[in-house]
Amino acid sequence: MTALLSVEGLAAGYGGALAVRGLDFAVAEGSIAVLVGANGAGKTTTVQVIAGALRPSGGTVRFAGEAVTGRDCPVMVERGVTLVPEGRLIFSRMTVEENLKMGAINRRAARNLGRNLERVFTLFPRLAQRRHQFGGSMSGGEQQMLAIARGLMAEPRLMILDEPSLGLAPKIVAEMFGLIRQLNVEGITILLVEQNVRQSLQLADQAFVIEKGRVVLSGDGPTLLDEPFVRTAFLGL
Amino acid sequence: MITLLQTLVNGVLYGGILSIAAVGFSLIFGVMNVINLAHGIFVIGGAYGALVAWSTLGIDPLASIPPLMLIAFILGWLCQRLVIQPAVQRGNPVAALLVTFGFTLVALNLLTVAFSSSVRSISPSYSFINLRLGDVSFDLVRLVAFACGLLLIGGLGSFLRFSRWGRIIRATALSELGARLCGVDARAVYALTFAVGSAFAAASGVLIGMMLPFTPAEEVTWTVYAFIVVTLGGVGSLGGAMLGGVLLGLVSALTQTYLGGVFTNMVMFLILLGTLLLRPNGILGSAFKASR
Amino acid sequence: MARTLLVVVLALLLFAALATLPLFLKAFYIRVGLSIFLSAGFAVCWWLLAGFTAYYSFGHTAFVGVGAFAAALTLRAVAAAAPGLQLAAGLLAGLVTAAVIAAAIAWPILRLRGHYFTIAMLAVALVLGEAVSAFPVFGGSAGLSLPNIAPSGMRVEAFFYWLALALLAIVMAIAWIISRSRLGYGLAAIREDEDAAQMLGVPTTRFKVVAFVLSGGLTGALGAVYALNLGYITTDSVFRGSLSLEMIVNSLVGGMGSLLGPVIGAAIMTGVTKLVLADLLEYHLAITGLLIVAVVLVAPDGVAGLWRRTRR
Ligand SMILES: Nc1ncnc2c1ncn2[C@@H]1O[C@H](COP(=O)(O)OP(=O)(O)OP(=O)(O)O)[C@@H](O)[C@H]1O
Ligand SMILES: [Mg+2]
Repeated sequence: MTALLSVEGLAAGYGGALAVRGLDFAVAEGSIAVLVGANGAGKTTTVQVIAGALRPSGGTVRFAGEAVTGRDCPVMVERGVTLVPEGRLIFSRMTVEENLKMGAINRRAARNLGRNLERVFTLFPRLAQRRHQFGGSMSGGEQQMLAIARGLMAEPRLMILDEPSLGLAPKIVAEMFGLIRQLNVEGITILLVEQNVRQSLQLADQAFVIEKGRVVLSGDGPTLLDEPFVRTAFLGL
Repeated sequence: MITLLQTLVNGVLYGGILSIAAVGFSLIFGVMNVINLAHGIFVIGGAYGALVAWSTLGIDPLASIPPLMLIAFILGWLCQRLVIQPAVQRGNPVAALLVTFGFTLVALNLLTVAFSSSVRSISPSYSFINLRLGDVSFDLVRLVAFACGLLLIGGLGSFLRFSRWGRIIRATALSELGARLCGVDARAVYALTFAVGSAFAAASGVLIGMMLPFTPAEEVTWTVYAFIVVTLGGVGSLGGAMLGGVLLGLVSALTQTYLGGVFTNMVMFLILLGTLLLRPNGILGSAFKASR
Repeated sequence: MARTLLVVVLALLLFAALATLPLFLKAFYIRVGLSIFLSAGFAVCWWLLAGFTAYYSFGHTAFVGVGAFAAALTLRAVAAAAPGLQLAAGLLAGLVTAAVIAAAIAWPILRLRGHYFTIAMLAVALVLGEAVSAFPVFGGSAGLSLPNIAPSGMRVEAFFYWLALALLAIVMAIAWIISRSRLGYGLAAIREDEDAAQMLGVPTTRFKVVAFVLSGGLTGALGAVYALNLGYITTDSVFRGSLSLEMIVNSLVGGMGSLLGPVIGAAIMTGVTKLVLADLLEYHLAITGLLIVAVVLVAPDGVAGLWRRTRR
């Protein structure tokens, strides 16, 4: 398997201090990769750089064999990288349908708008019912679904999800993980950032533990679940 | 009774003009969070543009609106790209406001040099026609300007509501990062927003120039009125600008009739202050910030 | 400690040197100096609030106007007193009236944040300006004239030069002392994050009110001097939006990061206006505008910030 995404020596920060320094990892095409780490470890920073929302101060990002370091969001979306951001960032005072249409503004996906809307509405019947309702008037779980659906509208090859389970009830979280697996089966490579370490590692083909802006451990999901460090630091065993 | 009715009619007509004169400011404030001190200069610039078109080329002011909007659109685009965007990127909230002020000084200076500071007015053939309905009289010009204002606001509303770029502008205002992650080039959106706001300012200037005499220095007045209208009605919403404009127009007409012209501005400014203290988000609230 | 002493000694020496200048300079240059001190004084007063707390007032001309008119009316009442007493009465009237008005509006207006505070202060200035021009006590459109209180035998411009210099020194000293006090640290915490400051036990409301009243009152005192120097005031000359803007522009041009910023900014902007642009009157506004844009884009932390950056 070849790497769809690879990150080498990545450095990024805000103003003065670097939040990420010398970070390396690669995600194989068609796999589910998971990033875990404590609060403030630099996970969000990393995925924002990959998605083009934040300019790195060093290192390289490669996607589908090409160097894309420091490319802006529109370019990355066009190439097939979509980030479903932490905190969802849906457009609260726009309808569900308008939110979804926003997901499809890149040229590639705009062509298939109608087909993709239908696909998303079959995947999330709840959103179809609420189609003309403001995004901000829905429950937290529904908003997270909307954020993912909006991401799907862009027809991603690599979908990055930053803490999609944050603040959701356990039952919804289970649904969410099921959905992620289903998307992966349909051919979308997944990079998942999670605090729900146990559940996400069970899902992971590859996993990376980040600490203080560096990858300190990596391996497949089950291996990491048995790792003493992971057990004490994240699973409380 | 007649006076009251006449005053109310005058107030609503004037209010319509105040509304259209504020929508550009409101859009820029709501979407970009920039207080655009150059707003008034675009308004007055529109009036002078119509004056030139009318006096040298004999073009009716109403017909000069589309080309003037296009010119203002281009100027607004350039202004945003060349000076405002770089200032916004400096991160200081006042930096953007200051560059719009600097831009205003330059434009004001050029306008004064080109047209002198004396009072001008545009009076096409129909400007002295007066219609009567019972005991209430209407200036034809004011009616026409009011109708044009409504038409323009309606046009802007439809653009924002139904067009692809309108949707992109609203989305960027609601969540810049969210929009960027959808593939929006936020800087292009801001340039477009500023250009559209400038175009509408210039259009309103043409309508104002048909009704009222003007000088270059008048720009301050229109910036301040836009402030008041937007503060009253709520930032970023066209409905708010219309509501705020009509309220302000009514207040202005009523104080003029019943208290005297000296007090109109004072009452308007007191209302601005009162609104800020009691309901800082305006009567309709901000269109782009979720009410928290 | 030794450093503090050094700063104080250097500042005193500098002010003493400045004070001797009128003995050598032509009247024109003395008036330029006077204008610089006045606008520097205003800018420091504005900075006293904005620099410490990031509450950007857009209507400080309200306090200039209030101070000016308070001084003018007071001087009418004490027209028979000795010039020295008249001066003291005028200054005191400007200071106290502006401070009282500031205190009266402080609580409601300081609840507003960001742009809202900025606009509200603009509204305050507009309302006061309109009120003053609407009521005949204030002379209406004809305005009020003030007596000449310069001691006989002293050149008028030199007298006002020294007066403005002294007030600038006082205002700067107050700002400097505050910046090193508990109040100053509290205000800086408010600037960084008001909610966090409140959580940490900073009495944010009280501190903001103190800074606001000080800023307004001192602006009023300077407004009195401004009026005395003009000799004749109208609503348009002292309630003037451009006065508020000049305070902001000067502070930003100089740099908001330190007390010297507003002073440097005022010196540059006023100096350029009075000296360089004196012959370019027709394009004076445009050049000022370009200068503002250039400074914001090239030196976002002001000239003081630029200097600090190049030293690093
Ligand atoms: N906008 C910002 N400005 C300044 N510092 C930031 C900003 N965002 C994050 N940081 C800092 O960068 C570091 C990494 O933050 P990041 O959000 O990447 O962590 P994270 O691993 O996603 O944490 P979490 O699990 O809490 O989401 C933290 O120390 C944080 O304080
Ligand atoms: Mg995070």
